[in-house]
Amino acid sequence: MNKQPSQVFRKSSKALAEASLVAAICMVAACNSTHDKTLAGVVAASAYVPGSTTGDPTIKAGYYKGATVFLDENGNGVLDSGEDSATTDATGKFSLKVDHNASGQLVADITTSAINTAVNAAAPSHLILRASAAQVADQGEDKIVISPMSSEVQRLVEANGSSYAAEKANIATRLSVPFNSAAALSVSGADALADVNTLSGNEQAAVLFEDNALTNRYTYATTKLDRGDKYPDALAVAGGDPTLADTAGITSGETIPADTRTTITFAQAQQAAFNIEGVPAYDNIFIIIEENKSTDAVAGNPRAPTINDILDNYNKLSTYYATSNPSEPNYTALGGGDDFGVTDDNWFGCGASGQYAPTDVAFAGGTASDGQVIPAFAALPPADSARRAGYSPTSATCGDAPTQGAVHNIPGDNLFTVMSKAGMTIRTYSESMNPGQDPRADSIADPAVVGLYDETDGDGTEVKDTQAWPVRSQLYRVKHGPSIDFQAARNLPEFYADNRTIFGTQYTEADWKKQTAYPDFDASNWNYDQFGTDLATGDVGNINFVVPDQCDDMHSVGKSGVDGESCAIGSSNGNNGQNAGITRADIYVNKVVTAIKNSALWKNKQRRVAIVVMFDEGEGGNNGSCCGWNAGGPNSGAAPVTVDADGKATATTAPTNYAQGNFGHGNSIFGIVTNQQDVGTAKKAVTDSDAYSHFSFLRTMQDMFGVADPARDASYLNRAKYTEKFIAENIMALPEYTDSADTHFDAVRPINHAYKIPDTYVQKLYPGDITGVVNPDTGMVEGAITPQVGPDSSQDNVWATK
Amino acid sequence: MGKRLPLGTAIGAALLALTACGGGSGGTPTVAPPGNAAKLSLAAQVGQKAFFDKNLSGGKNMACSGCHDPQYAYGPPNSLSVQLGSDPAQSGARAVPSLRYRESTPAYDDHAANPDGVTLASAGGGFMWDGRAASMAEQVALPLLNPLEMNNASKADVVQAVQNGSYADLFEQAFGADVFADTDTAFADLGTAIQAFETEDLSFHPYSSKYDLNIYNKIGGTLTAAEMRGLVVFHSSAVGNCSACHYAGVNFAGNQGLMTDFTYQALGAPRNDKSIPGNPDPIPANDDPAYYDMGLCGPYRSDHTPAELGTPDPYCGQFKVPVLRNVATRGAFFHNGVFHSLVQVLHFYNTRDTHPEYWYPASGGSGTAQDNPSWALQPTYVPGATVARFNDLPADEQGSVDEEVPLGTGEGGDNTLGGGTQARAAGSAPAMTEQQMSDLICFLNTLSDGYQVPETAPTSGTCVN
Repeated sequence: MNKQPSQVFRKSSKALAEASLVAAICMVAACNSTHDKTLAGVVAASAYVPGSTTGDPTIKAGYYKGATVFLDENGNGVLDSGEDSATTDATGKFSLKVDHNASGQLVADITTSAINTAVNAAAPSHLILRASAAQVADQGEDKIVISPMSSEVQRLVEANGSSYAAEKANIATRLSVPFNSAAALSVSGADALADVNTLSGNEQAAVLFEDNALTNRYTYATTKLDRGDKYPDALAVAGGDPTLADTAGITSGETIPADTRTTITFAQAQQAAFNIEGVPAYDNIFIIIEENKSTDAVAGNPRAPTINDILDNYNKLSTYYATSNPSEPNYTALGGGDDFGVTDDNWFGCGASGQYAPTDVAFAGGTASDGQVIPAFAALPPADSARRAGYSPTSATCGDAPTQGAVHNIPGDNLFTVMSKAGMTIRTYSESMNPGQDPRADSIADPAVVGLYDETDGDGTEVKDTQAWPVRSQLYRVKHGPSIDFQAARNLPEFYADNRTIFGTQYTEADWKKQTAYPDFDASNWNYDQFGTDLATGDVGNINFVVPDQCDDMHSVGKSGVDGESCAIGSSNGNNGQNAGITRADIYVNKVVTAIKNSALWKNKQRRVAIVVMFDEGEGGNNGSCCGWNAGGPNSGAAPVTVDADGKATATTAPTNYAQGNFGHGNSIFGIVTNQQDVGTAKKAVTDSDAYSHFSFLRTMQDMFGVADPARDASYLNRAKYTEKFIAENIMALPEYTDSADTHFDAVRPINHAYKIPDTYVQKLYPGDITGVVNPDTGMVEGAITPQVGPDSSQDNVWATK
Repeated sequence: MGKRLPLGTAIGAALLALTACGGGSGGTPTVAPPGNAAKLSLAAQVGQKAFFDKNLSGGKNMACSGCHDPQYAYGPPNSLSVQLGSDPAQSGARAVPSLRYRESTPAYDDHAANPDGVTLASAGGGFMWDGRAASMAEQVALPLLNPLEMNNASKADVVQAVQNGSYADLFEQAFGADVFADTDTAFADLGTAIQAFETEDLSFHPYSSKYDLNIYNKIGGTLTAAEMRGLVVFHSSAVGNCSACHYAGVNFAGNQGLMTDFTYQALGAPRNDKSIPGNPDPIPANDDPAYYDMGLCGPYRSDHTPAELGTPDPYCGQFKVPVLRNVATRGAFFHNGVFHSLVQVLHFYNTRDTHPEYWYPASGGSGTAQDNPSWALQPTYVPGATVARFNDLPADEQGSVDEEVPLGTGEGGDNTLGGGTQARAAGSAPAMTEQQMSDLICFLNTLSDGYQVPETAPTSGTCVN
């Protein structure tokens, strides 16, 4: 695991001891308390205002009124008796008289009775911000700005053992990338730490966006401090969750270290908020999702050189399980932690009646943050089976008034809503949508758009069709949209702006502009590569799902035979891993990864950017009950649970066919590349063989972007909350987990490599996914995998930044 | 060498048959039907009554449960190739399948999606060995009205039997007070009722095998070394390659480990007739040399009947890939029940091409007849004799017989182990060793429902180490 926290601990202990020493000397010497020094400035605020339809959140600048500002001489973040304080006025100003000998960080204590003037509303939760003594000296004692940014600089000083000057420069570097604009942006350290209300334009917008994310983090740090959390989080403890020692029903033989954790300190809480459950905070993640291949069909396959380069030279998970079969439940599990019993690829209206009936409303049209013009859409996508999979008006499951079948319209929060509520961004970039189409509809054929596929992979392999083919239907499928099955995601005001385009291969922008599928749509100014635009303008999301079309994702569409050639059925579908379609998808991965690596975001060492290359599912195997699945089968009685304030789970009435869902489906590859490996010094070739699933990845993303709290199981989305401890403590509400032979394997955990696999433990892999395939060129079996026995050679975290 | 039965077990099973399928006495099951009656819908309650009602046969002597015995995974309670009819002078034409784990079977389609999500669409789905019933509800009519099976003369006779029965009131509650007014409607409702019973009652999909304990990661589900080796053989495309068709993953509607992809395959099973020395129960219909049961292309379904006799048709000889759950409890295998043990079935897969003389009748040759292995259908083989391979298909319809591993070699295939399209040469090495087949049977044994975890795990035995 990341060694950062323990370094922080030592550092802050030392700082604390020094501060205490100063205080002790003062007491002994009866220091003269003259209060002849004045520290003055502002406590700057930002506030997220819901409602933006562009995909970029509205974040306003303001001040905290009624915040208590004090000189924190002992560095504990708390106003102690003897420490002088002042209160900010309606414009956030404070003027604090302190002893001329007093020293320490300046703290703004913002309680829920303080007002954030940006929105003229009380602070939603207790927040402690601070400015270091070095910053006070730098800005001047009468021009101090306490802000999320000032806290961040000091946190980085403590995390890195560096200096104020160094981190001031680093944060300037960090912010100096284009922000939602083609224009270059250069933010000085002084501006970064300035009162954000005095900035303007893109610079202010960039700082506000950062301020908002930092405010979330420091609010959470304050919560942890106030709550007296233990440090680190239980699931981040090296070896395993120490709290399981006191938990009934855990399989014997697991690694359970002694719980030597102590109550979190202020300094530790500051760091812990950026390393939730041992998952470091990232600025951006790009998740490229491929289709339907088991580990053995890809690993070692020379037809996929780009993907294998990532697996071989960067980081990977070697026991990664999909969630279900076919596609839709897998993408849905990624987007919200539950497939809800969906076992097909049909449209979101299927089974959606009563409390689950769609509440989508008509969209009047608008413009995305990157300028893409979005046409108006009706309340529901066009009512035909070409655009609503499985639809016929009278179908009992997927028609206008469904009466049966699994509910495809899932209520409640999901990754899209929790990110939105936090003022952060999450986008889905999909290749080959028809220009002007509703992203809730499958794409349709367009004989006017014709293209010849001819592309070359990174190793020089060319894939070229013998003729040009027109656009067929279903290049874009909503079954591959992680947000589509979630009602609340579709109802977000930014939903349409967050579904964006990404460049194609076979069909160019010019080809697409000849479109006739949506004759009312003027495609002349349509941007077919918002992804490229957004990378250049810094307008990509914090989280980005990259969904190639069904020709570039190893799926294939159309008829079998030659129709469509490199995309024809049979070109890549099938798990044999031996066809041109594999290379075609690999070429696309290469293009996407190259585009990301060429971006200013990636090249900026002060930012953290990750790329994941993964598959929605494997060949079709399952092996047990990995990582939050329904581990009891269709008769298990599984049902969604609610969790009360005490953390107690109660089973709800299961929606129709719920227990038919959430089964595992095969091992598949999961590769990770981070910019910290490319432009920094983060370790490469890290393998984590602990068992993970889509639910684990979702939990990891919630940790990574600070939109969950390990102390509140309910804050994790749906089944992502099913940790080993949660299951054990709520087994009555989770009948699918009774009589488990391996409670660790059954449970969800963040992808952090904290758990150490016991020496005799045999890796659980599904035989059908690891037997390998024969390369017809060599006659050799490739990709065959022998299950590992015992722990990995190191416990390094695949997300580690150092 | 004297006549012998293909298998010792066939003797005992044949004896059982005298009292089981279609036999017995009284109108109620001797064993209370299993399941969760309290939770059944009204329609399913009707279906349950009807399923065990012997009055729904021409001779008032045979209920659905007679051949689909809940004590035998809703399959036949004996090892007869085909079962006796309500008219005991008649026998069916195909082996009786288990009714378990059928509820997610889609309707038949020439281009059915494969449940594994990756295999190309092909003929798949449907009920009966040739998929000609689109649903379980429709399927009900076929045995009811088949003279070889339950032998009801008409739908009206069946409906009258229901109306006369003890559950007529329940039937009206479930389907309306005037349900008996229209015979066709009432007959269709009976199908709906039995389908509801088969769908709702947990006894039709109990998921209570050792395999389930294993895949759901439950206590007691640890496979033995032999079972684990068998599992790997089952999945290894170069060896057993079983899972290529007996798909083990998440299936339609969230079913797990059904061990079928609902597709159709032509395996070239030997004709179950008197050409097999000592055959205890040849199919009577096969006495007619002009009669061929060719599955998808007839005689029971008509949409793929070859345009003219002698025209090769890829659908000919294809039968549905069965669910393998509870396969180890069966005594008759393949559509014509020609095999009576798993040992025999696996050796057929393994040596159909390499040693066709074990399975098909031969003529000619010279010299002393040699003994075939004990599991072979043909007890002896005369050197140089001509073997009538695929003798249950007309010569023109043998071109679609499956040549994937383990049947075929893989030589000449386009690109994968499983894509081999050439026959294995006679006399060449088969795909599986005896040990691998033994292990495979151990694995197949784990698919039997009702597994009880032993108090102390056995430490020795074929399926242990």
